[in-house]
Amino acid sequence: MLKYLLSRMFYSVALLFGVLFLVFMLLHITGDPVSLMVSRHATPAEIEALRQELGFDRPLLVQFAEFVKNALQGDFGRSFRYRQPAMDLVVQRIPATIELASVALFMAILMGVTIGILGGSNPNTALDSIARGLGLLGQTIPTFWLGLILIIIFSLNLGWFPAYGRETFKFIGLTLPNKSIILPAFALSLFTTGQLARFTRSAVLEVMNEEYVTTARSKGLKKMRIYSRYILKNSAIPLISIIGVQFSYLLSGSIYIETIFSWPGLGNLLAEAVSTRDFFLVQATAFFTSFVVIGLHLVTDIIYMLVDPRIRYR
Amino acid sequence: MKNIKGNALFIAFLVLLVLGMMLFTGCAGEPDEAGEEEVASESVLRVALTTNPNTIEPATGDTRTASNVAWSIFNSLVWLNDEGVIVPSLAEDWTVSDDGLVYTFKLREDIVFHNGYAFSADDVVFTWERGQGSDITYREDFLAVAQMNKIDEYTVEAVLDTPNAMLLLQMNEHWGIMSKQYHEEVGEEGYLQAPVGTGPFKFVEWRAGDRIVLEAFEDYFEEGYPKVDRIEYRPIPDSSTRFAALVNDDIDIVSGLGPEQADSVQAEEGVTLVTYPLDRVFYITFNNMSTGIGTPIEDKLVRQAMSYAIDYQTIIDRIFDGYAERTAGFIVSGNLGYDPSVEPYPYDPDRAKELLAEAGYPDGFSIEMAGPSETYINFEQVLQAVVGYWGEVGIDVDLQFMESGMFWTLQANRELPPLFGDSWSSSMGEAYPRLLGSVGGEDASYAAWLDPVLVDLVKEIQLSADQFDRADVYTEILRYMHEDPPFIYLYQPTAFEAINNRVKDYNPRVSEQYYLKGVSVE
Repeated sequence: MLKYLLSRMFYSVALLFGVLFLVFMLLHITGDPVSLMVSRHATPAEIEALRQELGFDRPLLVQFAEFVKNALQGDFGRSFRYRQPAMDLVVQRIPATIELASVALFMAILMGVTIGILGGSNPNTALDSIARGLGLLGQTIPTFWLGLILIIIFSLNLGWFPAYGRETFKFIGLTLPNKSIILPAFALSLFTTGQLARFTRSAVLEVMNEEYVTTARSKGLKKMRIYSRYILKNSAIPLISIIGVQFSYLLSGSIYIETIFSWPGLGNLLAEAVSTRDFFLVQATAFFTSFVVIGLHLVTDIIYMLVDPRIRYR
Repeated sequence: MKNIKGNALFIAFLVLLVLGMMLFTGCAGEPDEAGEEEVASESVLRVALTTNPNTIEPATGDTRTASNVAWSIFNSLVWLNDEGVIVPSLAEDWTVSDDGLVYTFKLREDIVFHNGYAFSADDVVFTWERGQGSDITYREDFLAVAQMNKIDEYTVEAVLDTPNAMLLLQMNEHWGIMSKQYHEEVGEEGYLQAPVGTGPFKFVEWRAGDRIVLEAFEDYFEEGYPKVDRIEYRPIPDSSTRFAALVNDDIDIVSGLGPEQADSVQAEEGVTLVTYPLDRVFYITFNNMSTGIGTPIEDKLVRQAMSYAIDYQTIIDRIFDGYAERTAGFIVSGNLGYDPSVEPYPYDPDRAKELLAEAGYPDGFSIEMAGPSETYINFEQVLQAVVGYWGEVGIDVDLQFMESGMFWTLQANRELPPLFGDSWSSSMGEAYPRLLGSVGGEDASYAAWLDPVLVDLVKEIQLSADQFDRADVYTEILRYMHEDPPFIYLYQPTAFEAINNRVKDYNPRVSEQYYLKGVSVE
């Protein structure tokens, strides 16, 4: 068991390292940022001096080694543009992304599980077809298009929600987002909704055919009780892992959704950092999001190991 | 009993649902900020920003967006007013020595910073010193002054190594005077996060990626300004969202709209479209400094032929719905020395073929061209259209697009093909920065065309402290660069902005600069 745990942790760290290496190399093969940092009247000598000052003239592997060395000490470098430590900028944006991810996950569970149960417990009916259609739609609809459509309908035509931004209010000492979060959270939630709807449907279908359900039926138990006691409870187990994984993706911040709705989270920051080639800021953001995604996967693995002996003794 | 336990999941679900409903709808319509109700009568101007400013200080803010916010907070010694005249600001008067090397500024004595610190010569000297730092974005505008001397409490003297006709314009662009004492207290990083200036608005709050809030400075030295109590700048990166926010009355001023949104704005009530040609020229350059050496483009006749071969107006009509201006050169309408009698090349493919034959290429030739991808609106389409027109006169162009970072790195290294497309802006009301950067000679990193005649003319501008002298040189350059074109002059883009009708006296300049001190809301 310990061996399994250690190997999972080793893979996680290796994966994190790999992601960082990839991001680092991709950023550098597209040119160094010095040409964007100097004014267009700068002389070649000035450009070269700045390149040396920032260390961009050294071999890439040396630069990467130094980045890793500093990162291990919690120093992710300074953002060129913002003139601040890159990780500070990332930390400023985390609350907005957590809010958005949490509300989106809540919406996705509400909608996805409902659709899945309705479809799964009425297989091959019109209701099931509609539920399957909705699930598929949620997974395939392009989010940037959906975002604009939501703004046009609910903001411009109906005037129910603001078109952009994050407005907050104070509630027992907490700063919470108000209705401005609904459109971006809904747009963000749809992919997860589709995923959950499809998994819930198949889980419910599978459990419905289990012998203990047949037994319960033959015992003459009420329909509601069969659902709450046997079907839903047992269908929920595989969903937990999916929810965990989906939450990690939601937490890494959506570039499209946050940009369209001007939501001041990590995706918004990353989009800007990439377009201005703010190397250290891109790396700090990439580190944080991969850390969250890989970390939550690891936690999910461990929880699974604890509840499922088949994995534990492998 | 058992029933309740069995339904625990269902009940938990309901509780979550109710909590969620409370969160979503319970707070709808309530004021989002404590205390906002008390000051409901104050006038607030809500301005959309197209990007997130990196700093809101003039010497380090790296976009026009950033400097527009910065100039609400700061003042320079002088100000270029809406009529294009340099007028006093923190300096009430100045003199220039006969050799053009010493500028003496007499400072106003009644100025205070937002935090109450008095303004004096020390602050000007400090601002210059800080501007020498290698991490200052517009360092070169401070290096233009070799020595800054304090003569007395309210007099400073700027000493130059060489005469520089642009000095006052450079000060107007990037010398936002900072408080020496406050900088000593909070340091560089602290200053940039909570800037203190002498400008019409003082800094209140900056929520990263969300908003920058300023409020009127009650001790501002210009009588009657500013005209609103509060400004809220909101970064909205997506242009469709900016448009929606304007129509929804969530914002008062938006810039950076596209042509398709401009048409939509005109259909809406309560909002007004603001358009003007930008001080930015889109061009294709001929590269005679590296890869173009030995190719047909070195021949003036070939370059003229290529200029005649393009149907510019059709490109503008089809790709920009007519929303762009043709230009005859790098000195455009609104620039000092602009001469409307120099007209853009007409579309004349027959003349183009004649010139090609005269130059010895009756069957045309093949050549390579590059352009930056996804950097400028519709620019890829424009370059593709140009390649099509050139194909019709026998010039076969291999066009490749590159990611912009790569493109500019190659441009600085002079490794781009013999032809490449790009754009060049200017912000001073004069074409000088554009000319210096593009035809200023070997020292200009991004230049691709070298012509000793132009290098000398550009130098002459730099030495002409007198505005009228400079105007004549600019006109000469315009004519020269038209007859012997180093560039294909494509177009000047149109800027699309829109305002809520309650906004009065909003006057953006061709450089996309705007000053909000005179703007009011009804």
